[in-house]
Amino acid sequence: MPTAAIIARSLTKQYAALTALNSFDLEVAQGSIFGLLGPNGAGKTTLIRILTTLMRQSSGEVFIQGLDTRTAGRQIRSMIGVVSQENSLDRYLTARENLVLHARLHGMDKQLYSRRIDELLELMGLAGRQKDFPDTFSGGMQRRLVVARALVHQPQVLFLDEPTTGLDPQSRRAVWDYVRSLAGSMTIFLTTHYLEEAEQLCDRIAIMDHGRLIALGSTQELKDRLSGTTVYEIEFERNVASYAALLKAMACVRTIDAKDNLLHVTLECWECLSEIVTALNGAPVRRISLKERTLEDVFISLTGAGVRE
Amino acid sequence: MILHGSLAIWIRDMQVLRRAIFSELVAVVAYPLTIYLAFGIGMQGYIGAVEGSPYGLFIAPGLITMTAVNAAYNESVWSLWFHRRVQFTVESYRVTPISVSEIIIAKICTGFTHGIIKGCAVGLVIFAITPFRFPLEHLLSYLVFLIPGSALFSCAGVISGTVMDKPETIGKVEAVLVMPLIFMSGLFFPLSSYPAAVIPWVRALPTTALFEGARRALVSGDMSLMYVLQVSLSALVLFALAVGIFRRKMAE
Ligand SMILES: Nc1ncnc2c1ncn2[C@@H]1O[C@H](COP(=O)(O)OP(=O)(O)OP(=O)(O)O)[C@@H](O)[C@H]1O
Ligand SMILES: [Mg+2]
Repeated sequence: MPTAAIIARSLTKQYAALTALNSFDLEVAQGSIFGLLGPNGAGKTTLIRILTTLMRQSSGEVFIQGLDTRTAGRQIRSMIGVVSQENSLDRYLTARENLVLHARLHGMDKQLYSRRIDELLELMGLAGRQKDFPDTFSGGMQRRLVVARALVHQPQVLFLDEPTTGLDPQSRRAVWDYVRSLAGSMTIFLTTHYLEEAEQLCDRIAIMDHGRLIALGSTQELKDRLSGTTVYEIEFERNVASYAALLKAMACVRTIDAKDNLLHVTLECWECLSEIVTALNGAPVRRISLKERTLEDVFISLTGAGVRE
Repeated sequence: MILHGSLAIWIRDMQVLRRAIFSELVAVVAYPLTIYLAFGIGMQGYIGAVEGSPYGLFIAPGLITMTAVNAAYNESVWSLWFHRRVQFTVESYRVTPISVSEIIIAKICTGFTHGIIKGCAVGLVIFAITPFRFPLEHLLSYLVFLIPGSALFSCAGVISGTVMDKPETIGKVEAVLVMPLIFMSGLFFPLSSYPAAVIPWVRALPTTALFEGARRALVSGDMSLMYVLQVSLSALVLFALAVGIFRRKMAE
Protein backbone atom coordinates (compact mmCIF):
# COMPACT_ATOMS: atom_id res chain seq x y z
CA MET A 1 0.00 0.00 0.00
CA PRO A 2 1.41 3.44 -0.87
CA THR A 3 1.97 5.75 2.08
CA ALA A 4 -0.55 8.52 2.64
CA ALA A 5 0.33 11.81 0.93
CA ILE A 6 0.14 13.74 4.19
CA ILE A 7 0.57 12.34 7.67
CA ALA A 8 0.55 14.49 10.80
CA ARG A 9 1.03 12.94 14.23
CA SER A 10 0.26 14.75 17.48
CA LEU A 11 1.23 18.02 15.84
CA THR A 12 1.44 20.94 18.24
CA LYS A 13 2.32 24.56 17.59
CA GLN A 14 2.75 27.07 20.35
CA TYR A 15 2.90 30.85 19.73
CA ALA A 16 4.15 32.10 23.09
CA ALA A 17 1.13 31.52 25.34
CA LEU A 18 -1.27 30.59 22.54
CA THR A 19 -1.62 26.98 21.42
CA ALA A 20 -2.51 27.33 17.75
CA LEU A 21 -2.36 23.58 17.08
CA ASN A 22 -3.05 21.04 19.77
CA SER A 23 -1.91 17.41 19.19
CA PHE A 24 -3.38 17.36 15.73
CA ASP A 25 -3.56 14.02 13.90
CA LEU A 26 -4.29 13.77 10.21
CA GLU A 27 -3.91 11.47 7.26
CA VAL A 28 -4.67 12.38 3.66
CA ALA A 29 -4.80 9.60 1.06
CA GLN A 30 -2.92 9.80 -2.23
CA GLY A 31 -4.93 11.44 -4.99
CA SER A 32 -7.78 12.61 -2.79
CA ILE A 33 -9.20 16.07 -2.25
CA PHE A 34 -9.17 16.93 1.42
CA GLY A 35 -10.99 19.92 2.87
CA LEU A 36 -10.19 21.61 6.16
CA LEU A 37 -12.93 23.74 7.67
CA GLY A 38 -12.77 25.94 10.72
CA PRO A 39 -13.76 29.39 11.95
CA ASN A 40 -11.36 32.35 11.84
CA GLY A 41 -8.33 31.70 14.00
CA ALA A 42 -8.95 27.96 14.20
CA GLY A 43 -5.38 27.26 13.11
CA LYS A 44 -5.85 26.32 9.44
CA THR A 45 -3.12 28.56 8.07
CA THR A 46 -0.79 27.53 10.87
CA LEU A 47 -1.30 23.90 9.89
CA ILE A 48 -0.65 24.61 6.20
CA ARG A 49 2.48 26.58 7.04
CA ILE A 50 3.85 23.62 8.95
CA LEU A 51 2.85 21.12 6.26
CA THR A 52 4.58 23.24 3.60
CA THR A 53 7.81 23.57 5.67
CA LEU A 54 7.40 27.33 6.12
CA MET A 55 7.23 26.92 9.85
CA ARG A 56 8.54 24.45 12.42
CA GLN A 57 6.16 22.62 14.71
CA SER A 58 6.70 22.83 18.47
CA SER A 59 6.29 19.06 18.71
CA GLY A 60 4.88 16.12 16.81
CA GLU A 61 5.80 15.04 13.30
CA VAL A 62 4.70 15.54 9.70
CA PHE A 63 5.41 13.42 6.64
CA ILE A 64 4.69 14.62 3.12
CA GLN A 65 4.92 11.78 0.58
CA GLY A 66 6.69 9.86 3.33
CA LEU A 67 9.35 12.55 3.92
CA ASP A 68 9.87 14.27 7.26
CA THR A 69 9.34 18.06 7.05
CA ARG A 70 12.09 18.66 9.57
CA THR A 71 14.83 16.95 7.59
CA ALA A 72 13.74 16.83 3.94
CA GLY A 73 12.37 20.36 3.47
CA ARG A 74 13.99 21.04 0.11
CA GLN A 75 12.91 17.70 -1.35
CA ILE A 76 9.37 18.19 -0.07
CA ARG A 77 9.18 21.69 -1.52
CA SER A 78 10.15 20.37 -4.95
CA MET A 79 7.04 18.15 -4.85
CA ILE A 80 4.43 20.53 -3.49
CA GLY A 81 2.52 23.49 -4.88
CA VAL A 82 1.25 26.17 -2.52
CA VAL A 83 -1.46 28.79 -2.90
CA SER A 84 -1.18 30.94 0.20
CA GLN A 85 -3.97 32.86 1.85
CA GLU A 86 -2.46 36.22 0.93
CA ASN A 87 -1.93 37.16 -2.67
CA SER A 88 1.83 36.79 -3.08
CA LEU A 89 2.13 37.73 -6.74
CA ASP A 90 5.01 39.95 -7.79
CA ARG A 91 3.39 43.12 -9.09
CA TYR A 92 6.59 44.30 -10.76
CA LEU A 93 6.57 41.27 -13.03
CA THR A 94 4.06 40.45 -15.76
CA ALA A 95 1.80 37.44 -15.36
CA ARG A 96 4.07 35.33 -17.50
CA GLU A 97 7.24 36.52 -15.77
CA ASN A 98 5.71 35.54 -12.44
CA LEU A 99 5.37 31.99 -13.70
CA VAL A 100 8.83 31.97 -15.28
CA LEU A 101 10.47 33.08 -12.04
CA HIS A 102 8.70 30.30 -10.19
CA ALA A 103 9.83 27.74 -12.78
CA ARG A 104 13.43 28.94 -12.46
CA LEU A 105 13.27 28.67 -8.68
CA HIS A 106 12.26 25.07 -9.27
CA GLY A 107 15.31 24.63 -11.46
CA MET A 108 13.26 23.85 -14.56
CA ASP A 109 14.72 24.04 -18.06
CA LYS A 110 13.53 26.74 -20.39
CA GLN A 111 12.12 24.39 -23.06
CA LEU A 112 10.19 22.54 -20.42
CA TYR A 113 8.75 25.53 -18.61
CA SER A 114 7.90 27.61 -21.68
CA ARG A 115 5.53 24.95 -22.95
CA ARG A 116 4.06 24.25 -19.55
CA ILE A 117 3.43 27.95 -18.93
CA ASP A 118 1.71 28.33 -22.32
CA GLU A 119 -0.59 25.46 -21.41
CA LEU A 120 -1.40 26.79 -17.96
CA LEU A 121 -2.09 30.33 -19.16
CA GLU A 122 -4.39 28.95 -21.80
CA LEU A 123 -6.16 26.71 -19.32
CA MET A 124 -6.67 29.52 -16.79
CA GLY A 125 -7.96 31.88 -19.45
CA LEU A 126 -5.04 34.26 -18.96
CA ALA A 127 -3.16 33.76 -22.22
CA GLY A 128 -4.39 37.06 -23.63
CA ARG A 129 -3.23 38.98 -20.57
CA GLN A 130 0.12 37.30 -20.01
CA LYS A 131 2.11 40.46 -20.73
CA ASP A 132 0.11 42.53 -18.24
CA PHE A 133 0.96 43.21 -14.62
CA PRO A 134 -1.12 41.43 -11.98
CA ASP A 135 -2.37 44.63 -10.35
CA THR A 136 -4.36 45.34 -13.50
CA PHE A 137 -6.16 41.99 -13.01
CA SER A 138 -9.46 41.36 -11.27
CA GLY A 139 -9.40 39.41 -8.00
CA GLY A 140 -10.49 36.25 -9.80
CA MET A 141 -7.79 36.53 -12.44
CA GLN A 142 -5.12 37.12 -9.79
CA ARG A 143 -6.26 34.06 -7.90
CA ARG A 144 -6.18 31.96 -11.05
CA LEU A 145 -2.67 33.20 -11.73
CA VAL A 146 -1.57 32.17 -8.23
CA VAL A 147 -3.06 28.72 -8.80
CA ALA A 148 -1.27 28.49 -12.17
CA ARG A 149 1.98 29.45 -10.47
CA ALA A 150 1.58 26.67 -7.94
CA LEU A 151 1.14 24.17 -10.78
CA VAL A 152 4.05 25.13 -13.05
CA HIS A 153 6.33 22.40 -11.72
CA GLN A 154 3.59 19.72 -11.71
CA PRO A 155 3.46 19.12 -7.97
CA GLN A 156 2.35 15.86 -6.39
CA VAL A 157 0.59 17.59 -3.52
CA LEU A 158 -1.22 20.91 -3.88
CA PHE A 159 -2.03 23.08 -0.86
CA LEU A 160 -4.70 25.76 -1.25
CA ASP A 161 -5.34 28.13 1.65
CA GLU A 162 -8.79 29.65 1.04
CA PRO A 163 -8.46 29.55 -2.74
CA THR A 164 -11.79 31.23 -3.46
CA THR A 165 -12.19 33.79 -0.70
CA GLY A 166 -13.32 37.09 -2.20
CA LEU A 167 -14.30 35.64 -5.58
CA ASP A 168 -17.67 36.01 -7.26
CA PRO A 169 -19.73 32.85 -7.84
CA GLN A 170 -18.57 32.53 -11.45
CA SER A 171 -14.87 32.75 -10.64
CA ARG A 172 -15.37 30.45 -7.69
CA ARG A 173 -16.97 27.86 -9.93
CA ALA A 174 -14.14 28.23 -12.44
CA VAL A 175 -11.61 27.46 -9.69
CA TRP A 176 -13.72 24.51 -8.53
CA ASP A 177 -13.92 23.11 -12.04
CA TYR A 178 -10.21 23.34 -12.36
CA VAL A 179 -9.52 21.74 -8.98
CA ARG A 180 -11.92 18.96 -9.84
CA SER A 181 -10.16 18.38 -13.15
CA LEU A 182 -6.91 17.86 -11.24
CA ALA A 183 -8.46 15.28 -8.94
CA GLY A 184 -6.71 11.95 -9.07
CA SER A 185 -3.56 13.32 -10.71
CA MET A 186 -2.41 14.88 -7.45
CA THR A 187 -3.38 15.10 -3.81
CA ILE A 188 -5.17 18.33 -2.94
CA PHE A 189 -5.40 19.84 0.50
CA LEU A 190 -7.57 22.93 0.80
CA THR A 191 -8.94 25.12 3.56
CA THR A 192 -12.14 27.06 3.17
CA HIS A 193 -14.90 28.93 4.96
CA TYR A 194 -17.43 27.93 2.33
CA LEU A 195 -19.24 24.79 3.32
CA GLU A 196 -20.67 24.41 -0.13
CA GLU A 197 -17.15 24.41 -1.51
CA ALA A 198 -16.06 21.61 0.80
CA GLU A 199 -19.21 19.69 0.01
CA GLN A 200 -18.82 20.09 -3.75
CA LEU A 201 -15.13 19.34 -3.97
CA CYS A 202 -13.85 17.24 -1.15
CA ASP A 203 -13.75 13.49 -0.66
CA ARG A 204 -13.05 13.97 3.00
CA ILE A 205 -13.58 16.90 5.31
CA ALA A 206 -12.03 17.78 8.63
CA ILE A 207 -13.49 20.37 10.95
CA MET A 208 -11.13 22.02 13.39
CA ASP A 209 -11.44 24.63 16.08
CA HIS A 210 -9.07 26.07 18.68
CA GLY A 211 -6.23 24.06 17.17
CA ARG A 212 -7.99 20.74 17.60
CA LEU A 213 -9.49 18.33 15.12
CA ILE A 214 -13.13 17.95 16.10
CA ALA A 215 -14.65 15.96 13.26
CA LEU A 216 -13.44 14.01 10.26
CA GLY A 217 -15.23 12.10 7.52
CA SER A 218 -17.05 12.37 4.20
CA THR A 219 -19.79 15.00 3.93
CA GLN A 220 -22.40 12.31 4.39
CA GLU A 221 -20.67 10.82 7.44
CA LEU A 222 -20.48 14.21 9.06
CA LYS A 223 -24.16 14.89 8.44
CA ASP A 224 -25.14 11.49 9.75
CA ARG A 225 -23.06 12.02 12.81
CA LEU A 226 -24.93 15.16 13.69
CA SER A 227 -28.30 13.48 13.69
CA GLY A 228 -28.82 9.82 14.20
CA THR A 229 -32.43 10.98 13.98
CA THR A 230 -34.24 12.60 11.10
CA VAL A 231 -36.31 15.76 11.22
CA TYR A 232 -39.53 16.20 9.28
CA GLU A 233 -41.27 19.42 8.59
CA ILE A 234 -45.09 19.31 8.49
CA GLU A 235 -47.08 22.29 7.32
CA PHE A 236 -50.77 22.61 8.37
CA GLU A 237 -53.56 24.75 7.05
CA ARG A 238 -54.87 25.41 10.62
CA ASN A 239 -55.12 23.89 14.13
CA VAL A 240 -51.40 23.42 14.49
CA ALA A 241 -51.56 23.37 18.30
CA SER A 242 -54.04 20.51 18.55
CA TYR A 243 -52.09 18.31 16.13
CA ALA A 244 -48.89 19.14 17.97
CA ALA A 245 -50.49 17.81 21.17
CA LEU A 246 -51.69 14.70 19.34
CA LEU A 247 -48.24 13.89 17.93
CA LYS A 248 -46.45 14.69 21.15
CA ALA A 249 -48.36 11.89 22.86
CA MET A 250 -47.06 9.30 20.39
CA ALA A 251 -44.23 6.99 21.51
CA CYS A 252 -42.17 7.21 18.34
CA VAL A 253 -41.93 11.03 18.38
CA ARG A 254 -38.79 12.19 20.14
CA THR A 255 -39.17 15.99 20.03
CA ILE A 256 -41.63 18.39 18.58
CA ASP A 257 -41.37 22.05 17.85
CA ALA A 258 -44.21 24.31 16.67
CA LYS A 259 -43.83 27.56 14.81
CA ASP A 260 -46.64 29.36 13.00
CA ASN A 261 -48.17 26.72 10.73
CA LEU A 262 -45.09 24.51 10.88
CA LEU A 263 -44.21 21.53 13.05
CA HIS A 264 -40.66 20.20 13.25
CA VAL A 265 -40.87 16.59 14.32
CA THR A 266 -37.91 14.41 15.26
CA LEU A 267 -38.61 10.70 15.02
CA GLU A 268 -36.94 7.81 16.83
CA CYS A 269 -36.43 6.13 13.47
CA TRP A 270 -37.60 6.64 9.89
CA GLU A 271 -39.90 3.61 10.12
CA CYS A 272 -42.16 5.62 12.46
CA LEU A 273 -43.13 7.90 9.61
CA SER A 274 -46.06 5.68 8.50
CA GLU A 275 -47.52 5.80 12.03
CA ILE A 276 -47.46 9.58 11.89
CA VAL A 277 -49.09 9.64 8.50
CA THR A 278 -51.84 7.35 9.79
CA ALA A 279 -52.40 9.51 12.85
CA LEU A 280 -52.74 12.57 10.66
CA ASN A 281 -55.38 10.98 8.47
CA GLY A 282 -57.97 13.65 7.58
CA ALA A 283 -55.89 16.50 9.01
CA PRO A 284 -55.44 19.70 6.91
CA VAL A 285 -51.83 18.85 5.99
CA ARG A 286 -50.36 20.90 3.21
CA ARG A 287 -46.90 19.38 3.01
CA ILE A 288 -44.66 16.86 4.74
CA SER A 289 -40.97 17.13 3.94
CA LEU A 290 -37.71 15.73 5.17
CA LYS A 291 -35.57 18.51 6.57
CA GLU A 292 -32.08 17.86 5.18
CA ARG A 293 -29.19 18.61 7.49
CA THR A 294 -26.68 20.87 5.81
CA LEU A 295 -22.99 20.85 6.38
CA GLU A 296 -23.52 24.28 7.85
CA ASP A 297 -25.71 22.76 10.58
CA VAL A 298 -22.90 20.33 11.34
CA PHE A 299 -20.36 23.11 11.37
CA ILE A 300 -22.36 25.41 13.64
CA SER A 301 -23.31 22.60 15.99
CA LEU A 302 -19.65 21.64 16.37
CA THR A 303 -18.03 25.06 16.53
CA GLY A 304 -20.81 27.13 18.11
CA ALA A 305 -22.68 30.12 16.75
CA GLY A 306 -20.60 32.89 18.38
CA VAL A 307 -18.40 35.16 16.25
CA ARG A 308 -14.66 34.83 16.82
CA GLU A 309 -12.78 37.87 18.02
CA MET B 1 25.46 25.19 -1.82
CA ILE B 2 23.53 25.39 -5.07
CA LEU B 3 22.90 29.00 -6.03
CA HIS B 4 20.42 28.68 -8.87
CA GLY B 5 17.77 30.20 -6.60
CA SER B 6 19.92 33.27 -5.93
CA LEU B 7 20.54 33.64 -9.63
CA ALA B 8 16.83 33.42 -10.48
CA ILE B 9 15.94 36.10 -7.92
CA TRP B 10 18.83 38.35 -8.92
CA ILE B 11 17.79 38.10 -12.58
CA ARG B 12 14.25 39.08 -11.53
CA ASP B 13 15.60 42.13 -9.70
CA MET B 14 17.71 43.16 -12.70
CA GLN B 15 14.70 42.77 -14.99
CA VAL B 16 12.77 45.17 -12.76
CA LEU B 17 15.71 47.59 -12.54
CA ARG B 18 16.15 47.60 -16.32
CA ARG B 19 12.55 48.62 -16.84
CA ALA B 20 12.93 51.71 -14.67
CA ILE B 21 16.61 52.43 -15.23
CA PHE B 22 16.19 55.89 -16.69
CA SER B 23 14.02 57.35 -13.94
CA GLU B 24 16.10 55.58 -11.28
CA LEU B 25 19.29 57.13 -12.61
CA VAL B 26 17.84 60.62 -12.91
CA ALA B 27 16.62 60.43 -9.32
CA VAL B 28 19.86 59.05 -7.99
CA VAL B 29 22.13 61.52 -9.81
CA ALA B 30 20.12 64.59 -8.84
CA TYR B 31 21.12 64.62 -5.15
CA PRO B 32 24.92 64.28 -5.33
CA LEU B 33 24.97 66.58 -8.32
CA THR B 34 23.15 69.29 -6.40
CA ILE B 35 25.61 68.94 -3.54
CA TYR B 36 28.49 69.06 -5.95
CA LEU B 37 27.20 72.21 -7.64
CA ALA B 38 26.47 73.92 -4.31
CA PHE B 39 29.67 73.04 -2.46
CA GLY B 40 32.19 71.94 -5.02
CA ILE B 41 31.53 74.87 -7.35
CA GLY B 42 29.47 77.40 -5.42
CA MET B 43 31.55 77.34 -2.22
CA GLN B 44 34.87 76.48 -3.82
CA GLY B 45 36.15 80.03 -3.80
CA TYR B 46 35.44 80.44 -0.09
CA ILE B 47 36.89 77.13 0.98
CA GLY B 48 40.02 76.99 -1.13
CA ALA B 49 42.20 73.91 -1.10
CA VAL B 50 41.76 71.05 1.35
CA GLU B 51 44.75 68.78 1.89
CA GLY B 52 46.25 70.26 -1.23
CA SER B 53 43.27 69.59 -3.50
CA PRO B 54 40.66 72.05 -4.75
CA TYR B 55 37.48 71.50 -2.73
CA GLY B 56 35.56 70.21 -5.74
CA LEU B 57 38.15 67.51 -6.25
CA PHE B 58 38.22 66.75 -2.53
CA ILE B 59 34.52 65.95 -2.31
CA ALA B 60 33.98 64.34 -5.73
CA PRO B 61 35.14 60.80 -4.76
CA GLY B 62 33.10 60.94 -1.57
CA LEU B 63 29.96 61.91 -3.48
CA ILE B 64 30.39 58.96 -5.79
CA THR B 65 31.02 56.62 -2.87
CA MET B 66 28.07 58.08 -0.99
CA THR B 67 25.76 57.52 -3.96
CA ALA B 68 26.91 53.94 -4.35
CA VAL B 69 26.59 52.93 -0.71
CA ASN B 70 23.33 54.81 -0.26
CA ALA B 71 21.87 53.10 -3.32
CA ALA B 72 23.05 49.71 -2.07
CA TYR B 73 21.63 50.31 1.39
CA ASN B 74 18.33 51.71 0.20
CA GLU B 75 17.69 49.05 -2.37
CA SER B 76 18.39 46.29 0.15
CA VAL B 77 16.44 47.68 3.04
CA TRP B 78 13.30 48.61 1.09
CA SER B 79 13.32 45.62 -1.17
CA LEU B 80 13.58 43.23 1.72
CA TRP B 81 10.88 45.00 3.68
CA PHE B 82 8.59 45.21 0.66
CA HIS B 83 9.00 41.61 -0.41
CA ARG B 84 8.62 40.36 3.16
CA ARG B 85 5.85 42.56 4.52
CA VAL B 86 3.91 43.98 1.58
CA GLN B 87 4.08 41.66 -1.37
CA PHE B 88 4.79 38.39 0.50
CA THR B 89 7.03 37.37 -2.39
CA VAL B 90 9.57 36.01 0.11
CA GLU B 91 6.89 33.52 1.17
CA SER B 92 6.40 32.46 -2.43
CA TYR B 93 10.17 31.94 -2.82
CA ARG B 94 10.26 29.92 0.36
CA VAL B 95 7.86 27.25 -0.83
CA THR B 96 10.21 26.37 -3.70
CA PRO B 97 13.21 24.06 -3.33
CA ILE B 98 15.73 26.80 -2.58
CA SER B 99 17.27 27.64 0.77
CA VAL B 100 16.64 30.72 2.85
CA SER B 101 20.32 31.64 2.43
CA GLU B 102 19.92 31.72 -1.34
CA ILE B 103 17.16 34.32 -1.00
CA ILE B 104 19.22 36.61 1.17
CA ILE B 105 22.34 36.20 -0.97
CA ALA B 106 20.29 37.23 -4.01
CA LYS B 107 19.06 40.33 -2.20
CA ILE B 108 22.59 41.27 -1.11
CA CYS B 109 23.80 40.91 -4.71
CA THR B 110 20.95 43.07 -5.96
CA GLY B 111 21.73 45.86 -3.50
CA PHE B 112 25.38 45.61 -4.45
CA THR B 113 24.60 45.85 -8.17
CA HIS B 114 22.39 48.90 -7.61
CA GLY B 115 25.27 50.52 -5.70
CA ILE B 116 27.84 49.90 -8.39
CA ILE B 117 25.60 50.97 -11.28
CA LYS B 118 24.39 54.15 -9.60
CA GLY B 119 27.84 55.02 -8.26
CA CYS B 120 29.29 54.71 -11.76
CA ALA B 121 26.49 56.84 -13.21
CA VAL B 122 27.21 59.66 -10.78
CA GLY B 123 30.93 59.25 -11.42
CA LEU B 124 30.40 59.70 -15.15
CA VAL B 125 28.27 62.80 -14.68
CA ILE B 126 30.74 64.41 -12.28
CA PHE B 127 33.66 63.67 -14.59
CA ALA B 128 31.70 65.08 -17.49
CA ILE B 129 31.16 68.44 -15.80
CA THR B 130 34.57 68.85 -14.12
CA PRO B 131 38.04 69.29 -15.55
CA PHE B 132 39.53 66.57 -13.28
CA ARG B 133 40.94 63.55 -15.09
CA PHE B 134 42.30 60.45 -13.37
CA PRO B 135 44.72 57.84 -14.61
CA LEU B 136 43.34 54.34 -15.11
CA GLU B 137 45.28 52.91 -12.13
CA HIS B 138 43.60 55.43 -9.84
CA LEU B 139 40.19 54.43 -11.13
CA LEU B 140 40.95 50.76 -10.62
CA SER B 141 42.22 51.30 -7.08
CA TYR B 142 39.09 53.31 -6.39
CA LEU B 143 37.00 50.32 -7.49
CA VAL B 144 38.88 48.18 -4.97
CA PHE B 145 37.12 50.31 -2.34
CA LEU B 146 33.82 50.79 -4.05
CA ILE B 147 33.17 47.06 -4.43
CA PRO B 148 33.49 45.96 -0.78
CA GLY B 149 31.93 49.29 0.27
CA SER B 150 28.75 48.61 -1.71
CA ALA B 151 28.70 45.04 -0.43
CA LEU B 152 29.06 46.31 3.14
CA PHE B 153 26.10 48.68 2.82
CA SER B 154 23.99 46.16 0.97
CA CYS B 155 24.48 43.71 3.85
CA ALA B 156 23.64 46.44 6.36
CA GLY B 157 20.48 47.24 4.39
CA VAL B 158 19.43 43.63 4.25
CA ILE B 159 19.87 43.33 8.01
CA SER B 160 17.76 46.46 8.62
CA GLY B 161 15.09 45.25 6.21
CA THR B 162 14.99 41.91 7.99
CA VAL B 163 14.70 43.13 11.56
CA MET B 164 12.48 46.15 10.98
CA ASP B 165 8.83 45.53 10.29
CA LYS B 166 7.64 49.15 10.07
CA PRO B 167 8.58 51.64 7.38
CA GLU B 168 8.83 54.47 9.93
CA THR B 169 11.58 52.62 11.76
CA ILE B 170 13.51 52.21 8.54
CA GLY B 171 13.31 55.96 7.90
CA LYS B 172 14.44 56.77 11.44
CA VAL B 173 17.42 54.43 11.37
CA GLU B 174 18.52 55.96 8.12
CA ALA B 175 18.32 59.49 9.53
CA VAL B 176 19.97 58.68 12.86
CA LEU B 177 22.56 56.11 11.89
CA VAL B 178 23.29 55.74 8.19
CA MET B 179 23.43 59.36 7.04
CA PRO B 180 25.52 60.56 10.03
CA LEU B 181 27.94 57.67 9.52
CA ILE B 182 28.41 58.67 5.92
CA PHE B 183 28.68 62.42 6.56
CA MET B 184 31.04 62.12 9.51
CA SER B 185 33.44 59.82 7.68
CA GLY B 186 35.41 62.54 5.97
CA LEU B 187 33.16 63.12 3.00
CA PHE B 188 33.10 66.94 3.28
CA PHE B 189 36.08 67.60 5.53
CA PRO B 190 39.40 65.93 6.31
CA LEU B 191 39.69 63.76 9.40
CA SER B 192 42.27 66.19 10.77
CA SER B 193 39.36 68.54 11.55
CA TYR B 194 38.33 66.27 14.40
CA PRO B 195 39.76 66.81 17.91
CA ALA B 196 42.83 64.60 18.35
CA ALA B 197 41.15 62.45 21.01
CA VAL B 198 38.29 61.52 18.69
CA ILE B 199 40.34 60.63 15.62
CA PRO B 200 41.23 57.02 16.60
CA TRP B 201 37.53 56.31 17.16
CA VAL B 202 36.53 57.78 13.85
CA ARG B 203 39.28 55.82 12.15
CA ALA B 204 37.99 52.59 13.62
CA LEU B 205 34.73 52.96 11.67
CA PRO B 206 34.60 50.98 8.44
CA THR B 207 32.87 53.95 6.79
CA THR B 208 35.91 56.12 7.47
CA ALA B 209 38.19 53.52 5.96
CA LEU B 210 35.89 53.43 2.96
CA PHE B 211 35.55 57.19 2.34
CA GLU B 212 39.14 58.11 3.24
CA GLY B 213 40.64 55.14 1.44
CA ALA B 214 38.53 55.62 -1.66
CA ARG B 215 39.37 59.32 -1.94
CA ARG B 216 43.08 58.75 -1.57
CA ALA B 217 42.97 55.97 -4.11
CA LEU B 218 41.20 58.13 -6.65
CA VAL B 219 42.90 61.48 -6.08
CA SER B 220 46.49 60.43 -5.48
CA GLY B 221 46.48 56.75 -6.36
CA ASP B 222 47.76 55.64 -2.97
CA MET B 223 46.26 52.35 -1.88
CA SER B 224 46.04 51.81 1.84
CA LEU B 225 45.92 48.06 2.30
CA MET B 226 44.84 48.59 5.89
CA TYR B 227 41.74 50.47 4.76
CA VAL B 228 40.89 47.91 2.08
CA LEU B 229 41.14 45.11 4.64
CA GLN B 230 39.05 47.04 7.13
CA VAL B 231 36.23 47.56 4.64
CA SER B 232 36.39 44.04 3.25
CA LEU B 233 36.46 42.35 6.64
CA SER B 234 33.53 44.44 7.86
CA ALA B 235 31.63 43.46 4.72
CA LEU B 236 32.36 39.79 5.38
CA VAL B 237 31.25 40.04 8.99
CA LEU B 238 28.03 41.81 8.00
CA PHE B 239 27.44 39.24 5.27
CA ALA B 240 27.61 36.39 7.79
CA LEU B 241 25.40 38.37 10.16
CA ALA B 242 22.87 39.14 7.43
CA VAL B 243 22.54 35.49 6.46
CA GLY B 244 22.28 34.42 10.11
CA ILE B 245 19.74 37.08 11.07
CA PHE B 246 17.56 36.40 8.03
CA ARG B 247 17.58 32.66 8.71
CA ARG B 248 16.59 33.27 12.31
CA LYS B 249 13.80 35.61 11.29
CA MET B 250 12.45 33.11 8.77
CA ALA B 251 12.49 30.31 11.33
CA GLU B 252 10.15 32.26 13.60
N1 LIG C 1 2.85 34.55 13.92
C1 LIG C 1 1.93 34.44 14.88
N2 LIG C 1 2.21 34.81 16.16
C2 LIG C 1 1.30 34.66 17.14
N3 LIG C 1 0.08 34.16 16.98
C3 LIG C 1 -0.27 33.78 15.74
C4 LIG C 1 0.62 33.89 14.63
N4 LIG C 1 0.00 33.42 13.53
C5 LIG C 1 -1.24 33.04 13.93
N5 LIG C 1 -1.41 33.25 15.25
C6 LIG C 1 -2.60 32.91 16.03
O1 LIG C 1 -2.84 31.52 15.89
C7 LIG C 1 -4.23 31.27 15.77
C8 LIG C 1 -4.50 30.49 14.51
O2 LIG C 1 -4.26 31.33 13.40
P1 LIG C 1 -4.41 30.85 11.90
O3 LIG C 1 -3.95 31.97 11.03
O4 LIG C 1 -3.74 29.55 11.74
O5 LIG C 1 -5.99 30.69 11.78
P2 LIG C 1 -6.89 30.38 10.50
O6 LIG C 1 -7.68 29.19 10.86
O7 LIG C 1 -6.05 30.32 9.29
O8 LIG C 1 -7.83 31.64 10.45
P3 LIG C 1 -8.49 32.41 9.20
O9 LIG C 1 -9.69 31.61 8.82
O10 LIG C 1 -8.87 33.72 9.74
O11 LIG C 1 -7.46 32.48 8.12
C9 LIG C 1 -4.92 32.61 15.83
O12 LIG C 1 -5.40 32.81 17.15
C10 LIG C 1 -3.84 33.60 15.52
O13 LIG C 1 -4.06 34.82 16.19
MG1 LIG D 1 -5.97 31.32 7.52
